[in-house]
Amino acid sequence: MAVKTFKGGAHPPERKERSSGLAILRLREVKLVVVPVNQHFGAPLQPLVKVGDNVKRGQKIADAEGRMTVPVHAPIAGVVKKIEPRTQSNNSEGPCIVIEALPPPAEGQPALAPEELVDFMPPLDPFACSKEEALARVRAAGIVGMGGAGFPAHVKLAPSKPIAVVIANGAECEPFLTIDERSLIERADDVVEGVAITMKIVNAPEGVIAVEENKVHAVPLLEKAIAASPRTRAGMKIRVQLLKTKYPQGGEKMLITAITGKEVPSGGLPMDVGCVVQNIGTLLAMVDAFKEGKPLIERGLTISGGACTKPANVVAPIGTPVADIIAAGLAQVDEEKLGMVIYGGPMMGVAVPNYQIPVQKNTSGVLLLDTVEAKHYDEETCIRCGRCMRACSCRLSPALLAVAVEAGDYKEAEKIGLLDCIECGTCSFVCPSHRHLVQRFRVGKQILRALKQKEAQNAR
Amino acid sequence: MPAKGMLLSSSPHSFTPVSTPRIMLSVLIALVPASAYGVYLYGFSALALILVTMASAAAAEFVFRKLIKASTTVSDFSALVTGLLLALTLPPSTPLWMGALGAVFAIVVAKEFFGGLGANPFNPALIGRAFLLMSFPAAMTTWTLPQGLIVGPDAISSLSLAQGAVDTVTAVTPLGLVKSGKTLADVGTYLGTHSDGELLKQLFLGYHSGSLGESSILLITLGGLFLLGIGVIQWIIPVAVLASTFLFSWVLGMNPVFSLFTGGIAFGAFFMATDYATRPLTPKGQILFGIGIGLITAVIRKFGGFPEGVTYAILIMNIATPFLNKMRVKKYGFVPPVKPAKPSKEAAR
Ligand code: SF4
Ligand code: SF4
Repeated sequence: MAVKTFKGGAHPPERKERSSGLAILRLREVKLVVVPVNQHFGAPLQPLVKVGDNVKRGQKIADAEGRMTVPVHAPIAGVVKKIEPRTQSNNSEGPCIVIEALPPPAEGQPALAPEELVDFMPPLDPFACSKEEALARVRAAGIVGMGGAGFPAHVKLAPSKPIAVVIANGAECEPFLTIDERSLIERADDVVEGVAITMKIVNAPEGVIAVEENKVHAVPLLEKAIAASPRTRAGMKIRVQLLKTKYPQGGEKMLITAITGKEVPSGGLPMDVGCVVQNIGTLLAMVDAFKEGKPLIERGLTISGGACTKPANVVAPIGTPVADIIAAGLAQVDEEKLGMVIYGGPMMGVAVPNYQIPVQKNTSGVLLLDTVEAKHYDEETCIRCGRCMRACSCRLSPALLAVAVEAGDYKEAEKIGLLDCIECGTCSFVCPSHRHLVQRFRVGKQILRALKQKEAQNAR
Repeated sequence: MPAKGMLLSSSPHSFTPVSTPRIMLSVLIALVPASAYGVYLYGFSALALILVTMASAAAAEFVFRKLIKASTTVSDFSALVTGLLLALTLPPSTPLWMGALGAVFAIVVAKEFFGGLGANPFNPALIGRAFLLMSFPAAMTTWTLPQGLIVGPDAISSLSLAQGAVDTVTAVTPLGLVKSGKTLADVGTYLGTHSDGELLKQLFLGYHSGSLGESSILLITLGGLFLLGIGVIQWIIPVAVLASTFLFSWVLGMNPVFSLFTGGIAFGAFFMATDYATRPLTPKGQILFGIGIGLITAVIRKFGGFPEGVTYAILIMNIATPFLNKMRVKKYGFVPPVKPAKPSKEAAR
């Protein structure tokens, strides 16, 4: 198989060997969950429950009107204890619904019937229902893009342009993370099924499961699953594509370019080049939503890092404080060595003050870095070496872009492509002077967006 | 829960092991063969010149930054690189104090006055060299014969070289001979070779008079290839410089191979034109930058007052760098802007 890739990029140390061989563990006993109300990219939700309410597992607990909204469900059966702002995985505060699990039935009392504990939707056959029904199910199940910003899946799956190929993003290019790799291996059939469901919904003739070369051992399993799938037997075209192990291969734009050779136009969306890209976790959540009627109330994640003495791939209810996963013995941490806690991967993840923060729909991993790994460098002056320019997969000339942003020249910055920056952080990674390039671009993007909004208002 | 404070920086949280000192150190390593050959050709005094120039550069940077109360940057080795680059472009007989003066000028005026590492518009080593060339034209154009190279009295008289007739130590560079109207065959006679091939070979190996570290094309190229191999420099600029020097020398009626094998062009192509701060960052800009250097070098060699023009060629193209940086590659997903249609009266209202 020809191995494809994109131009540019970098090779941060992978560190996947620590957890890539570990089967996914399931966290069973959860006493308490802290469920952020807003876990999607879009308009904010309203809680549908009050303190003191009993909730069933899978019951909708927050929702709102509007296209860019995705409901949130109770991950466990229990009682709503509090609704209050708490620190979330992006290190900012937001409203959270705290649910305490029901205590086990008292002596002599009969256990509660499952109907009183669980509230799933009826199963739905995505290949027999209408597109509208399928999209409604995806929304009702609370599904968002589980690899990135939490973009509403039902919006992504209703493109206004014809789709030629559905890409399952199994690149998993962030160091340390192995949950997608494990899912590809342990749930290959469901990954294929998820691709088929997506193809059905967006009416795409082709599906591609893209994996980086460091996961080449998953390819035979996937190919077997493809061959055995009733969907491919019925004529659906699905294949596996190997990609070079290189960061940011899993970036939506880079993935599309590697596979189709096309570039997503500036300011455009994958659908503009006939693509829909789905995260592996998202595919699995979709399969569960149709097959079992189960909303997105749990997810897989990798717990790793140098201070993590026992790394793990786990499936845990959304809202579980990561500290509880560790307390349950699924993973272990050496407190003495702990220097940094990251939700997400080391390239794009967010550093947070502790690991009490709950798992969210888009938490693909939690890294407990030791004091050696937890580095911070002071910025030195740019030596104009050009490394960032060659590494930027979006060809944005980060060194020059940084000059424009620093000078407050947002016109020039926009011309260079500030808004095209995917914030992958490759430029900052390769910089020998440890320039805070992407860090500047993140702030700069917000300022530029605000400026443009003002301009548009003034023009009106 | 962790009681101590966790590090809360913005992503990425992973960093390349390549650091500025490591880059500078690799440039120093790449220059070792050419430097060693210079010492082999010219002896202990050459070694002294190299060391004094490097030390002066480092000291100048240290003292200047102390005076302006800026952070010390000597540990990034960039001043040592400047010092070594400067020393290797000087005539081997340059007095030590002159080398030191050039180094101080290079560091203080050409580098630190502009804000230090990365902020200087002109190549500091070349500014140092140009400064010495203007201040001490005689010393800077006095060449010595490499140890062991005997230029016979026959050659001297037959070529009627006035200054060399009595003094077999003072020498002429191959470019100097050509500039004074001599042919390639005359250069061969001077160096005691018997054919054009033999002459070019000797030039390539570097056994002739010239700047301390610029004569051996072989060793310079090896150093350059090392830097290319480890990714410290990229191929665009050296290739563009060498190709354009070849082309324009040929167009102007000079022997193109001779042009590449003499003077400081190879050294300039690999070590001076690739200087991070003063070369353009964009690939298109780098191509034009290299072409410009080759063109100006050929023109100076052909028509200028000096036999060699690489120093000025690079400095002149340094001026163009900010403009060449505007020639960016098209960003990912570039969409050409739609020309706004002429506003119709309808729209104007
Ligand atoms: S990598 Fe860093 S030092 Fe090099 S050009 Fe980019 S910003 Fe400057
Ligand atoms: S400029 Fe943006 S897109 Fe380019 S490497 Fe940096 S973060 Fe990535």
